[in-house]
Amino acid sequence: MPSQRHIIAITLQNESGALTRVAGLFSTRGYNIESLNVAATDDPTVSRLTLVTTGNDAVIHQITQQSLKLVDVVDVEDVTREEHFERELLLIKVKAKATQVGSLWSATQRAGGRVLWDAADSFTIELTSSEADINRFMAEVANFGEVLEVVRSGALAIQKGRQILES
Amino acid sequence: MDVRLQRLLVSFASQHNRSTPVATSAPVNSIAASPLPTTPSAHPRTGQSMSGAEIIVQVLADEGVDTIFGYSGGAILPTYDAIFRHNDQQSKLAAGARPMPLIVPANEQGAGFMAAGYARASGKVGVCVVTSGPGATNTVTPVRDCAADSIPIVVICGQVGTSAIGSDAFQEAPVSNIMGAVAKHCFLVTDPAKLEATVRTAFEIARSGRPGPVVIDIPKDVQNWQGNYQGSGLLPMRGYHARMQALRARTLADEHAAKFFQMLGEAERPLIYAGGGVIHSDGAAELRAFAHEFGIPVVTTLMGIGTFDTTEPLALHMLGMHGAAFANYAVEDCDFLFCLGARFDDRVAGVPAKFARNAKRIAHMDVDASEINKVKRVQWSHVGLLRPALEKLRLQGKGAGFKRDWSPWHAHVAELKRRYAMNYDRDSELIQPYYVIEEINRLTRGEAVIATGVGQHQMWAAQYFDFREPRLWLTSGSMGTMGFGLPAAIGAQFARRDKLVIDIDGDASIRMNLGELETVTTYDLPIKVVVLNNFGDGMVKQWQKLFFKGRLSASDKSLHKKDFVKAAQADGYQFAVRLDRKADVPRVVKEFIEFKGPAFLEVIIDTEAGVYPMVGPGQAYDEMITGDFIESREASKTTAEPGVSEMF
Repeated sequence: MPSQRHIIAITLQNESGALTRVAGLFSTRGYNIESLNVAATDDPTVSRLTLVTTGNDAVIHQITQQSLKLVDVVDVEDVTREEHFERELLLIKVKAKATQVGSLWSATQRAGGRVLWDAADSFTIELTSSEADINRFMAEVANFGEVLEVVRSGALAIQKGRQILES
Repeated sequence: MDVRLQRLLVSFASQHNRSTPVATSAPVNSIAASPLPTTPSAHPRTGQSMSGAEIIVQVLADEGVDTIFGYSGGAILPTYDAIFRHNDQQSKLAAGARPMPLIVPANEQGAGFMAAGYARASGKVGVCVVTSGPGATNTVTPVRDCAADSIPIVVICGQVGTSAIGSDAFQEAPVSNIMGAVAKHCFLVTDPAKLEATVRTAFEIARSGRPGPVVIDIPKDVQNWQGNYQGSGLLPMRGYHARMQALRARTLADEHAAKFFQMLGEAERPLIYAGGGVIHSDGAAELRAFAHEFGIPVVTTLMGIGTFDTTEPLALHMLGMHGAAFANYAVEDCDFLFCLGARFDDRVAGVPAKFARNAKRIAHMDVDASEINKVKRVQWSHVGLLRPALEKLRLQGKGAGFKRDWSPWHAHVAELKRRYAMNYDRDSELIQPYYVIEEINRLTRGEAVIATGVGQHQMWAAQYFDFREPRLWLTSGSMGTMGFGLPAAIGAQFARRDKLVIDIDGDASIRMNLGELETVTTYDLPIKVVVLNNFGDGMVKQWQKLFFKGRLSASDKSLHKKDFVKAAQADGYQFAVRLDRKADVPRVVKEFIEFKGPAFLEVIIDTEAGVYPMVGPGQAYDEMITGDFIESREASKTTAEPGVSEMF
C-alpha cells in the first residue's frame, strides 16, 4: 500500500492537556506529523486541529481509530478522503536585490499573494494557497533574493459540500 | 504524615475489614448496563455546602467504593481528613454503615497495584489516593499497567495549589502531562466548580468501553474550596459519550450473524481464541454457552485465563509464546479462528503472517474498533459490547438450527491434548516448580485467586494451575511488571474476602515490592505468599542461555544474602517456612494452604528449570521448542538465530 499525504481534521474539547494528548498519541504510536495547526472554532469549548501526516491506508485508518479513543476528541475525519478545499498561509521575508524587486512584485501577483512591506532589505509577502503552490512560490522567490524568514501555518482544510465535522 | 493518625486509620480499617462482608450493593459496574448521562435523582445531600475534599469522598461513596488504597502526604491531606471524618461518621451508624477503609501500602506503587488487583478480582473500579509529586509518580507504573491490560482504576492525586503550579514547588510534578501519556484519561481540576462532575466522570470513563485507568490531579486549594453538592451530573464529554452510546447501541445485525454462520458452517476445524476482553465485558458465561452450543474448542490468552473452565474437555488452555503445545498446535491446525476480546499481540502472534496460517477465515469481536485489522486481517468483525453480541450470535445460530459434525476435529484436539500434554522432569531430585504448583492446585482445585509477579513463575502458574472461573487469575500481562503479584493479591483479598488468595512470586519479582509483605500482616490478610526461589531473574537467564551464549549478565542472584523466611518472620508471619526437600512438598504445601492467617512459603527450586514450550522470537508455532519432557510434533528444525532486535 502506497504511503500518501493525508490531512486529518480533529475537533477537540478545550481541556487542559488535550492538545498534548493528541500530539502525544502521534509520537508514542510512531506516526509523523508534517504540520499541525490548532485554533478555536465558533464554539469556545471546542478547538479544531488540522494535521498533515503521511501513511498508507492501514496507517491512516489506525490514526483515525486511535484518535477516536482519546476522551477529549469530539470527531475525526480524514479530509483528503473526499473532495475538499485546502489552504495554507505563508508569510515570507526576503532580502531582495534592488534590481529584482519588480520581479518579486510580479511573482507575488501571479501567485495571488500580497506584498505587506516593500523594502529591498525586508520585502515581506503574504500568500494563502495550497501547500504545493506555496512550495512552488517559495522556490521561485529564492531566485530573486535571500530568504530571511519563513512562517507557515500548516495546511487547513474543509470538506466540500454539506459534509461537516461534529463539534 | 502524623503517625498516630495513620495508626488510627490502620486500626480502624482492619477492624472494619474483619467484621464487614464485601459490599454487594455497589452500583452497577457493568459496561453494558450503565446509562448515560446518569439519571438525576434527588441525592440526600444535594445542595449541602461541602469542601472539595468532602465532595470527592461523597462521590466515592456514591460510586459504592468500599476500599481505598493510598498513601498520604501534604497535598492530599484535606482529602485524607475528609475520608477519616466520613469513616468516623459511618462507624457511628447503627445499621447501613458503609465506610471506606484506607489501606496503606509501603509505597504508592503498591497502592496502585492493590487497586488494580481489587479491580481485576471484582470487576469494580479500584481506587487509589496519593499525594502530589513522588506520590503521583510512584503510581505511573500501575497506571500504565492498567492501561495496557484494560483495567478500570481511578487514581486521585493531590497537587500543589493552583497558584503554585509551574513554579517548581515542593513535591510538584507535571502529573497531567506524565499521566496523559499513559492513562486512558487524565484530568487536572483547576475549576473547583467542576470537581464533583470530574470525579464522577472519571469512574464513568474508567469502566466504559475498553476499560482503563483514569487519573484526577486535584490541587490542594481545590480540595479546600467550599461549594454546594449537586448530587449528579457528568462533564460534557460529548465526543466520548456519543461514542459510548453508539457502542451500546451497536447490535449485531441478523444478516451479519448469518454471514458468520455461513463461514463457520464451511469450517471443519473451528477454534475460539478468547482474551481479556471476555473477562472485562463479563462475558465468560456467554462464551461458555457459545462454545458448548456448537462444540467449538477454546484457547485463551494469558489475560483470558479463566474465561473458559480449564478442566473442561473443550478447554485448550493458553496459546502463545509459552502456551501449551497442544493449544499452539490447535491454532496451527484450525481452519476458522474466532477471536473474542483479544488483540493478536506479539506474545501471541509474534509473526502475524505465520499465525494461524491454515485458518481460511478469521472472525474478530472487540469493543475497540482500532483492534480490528490492526495486526492480522480478518474476514468478519463486529465492534461492540461482547456479551450481548455473543449471546445474540448463539441464539441466532441455535434458532436457525445450526449444527455441524465436528467430531473428527474434537478427536484431533483430544489427541493433541493427550499427546502433547504439559510435562516436566518428574523424577528429578530437585524440587521442580511445576510440581509445587500441581500440589497447590490439587488443594485449591481451580477455585483460588492466583496473583503473580512476572517471569518464569508467572508462566508456570499460567500453565499448571486450573481456573474454573474468570477473575481468579491476576497477572501483569501486557506491561509485564515485576512486583505486581504481592500488592495485587492484597487488593484482591479486599475485593474477595471469601476467597483463598495466593501470590505465586519469584525471588526477583517479590523483591520489587517487598515492602508489601508487611502490609499483608498489618491488615491480617490470610494471603498465601509463595516465593519460587531460583536465585535470579529466571526468565532473563533462560533467554541469556538460549540467545546470549549463557552470559548471565546481571541476572544471577546466588550471592544475594536475603533470608526470605527471616524477612517474613520479621514482618509478623506466624507461618514462614523454607521448603527445600522434594519429599516434604505435599505435607508442607498442605500445612501452608490450610494455615488460617498470613502465610509465607519459600521454595528452593531447580535453578535450571525452564519455561516450555517456548515459541522463540521470530518463530512460528510449529517451530516452538518443547523442551525435554513435552513431545514435539515437528522434527526439531534448526532454528536460525533471531535478529538482535527481535529479542524481546
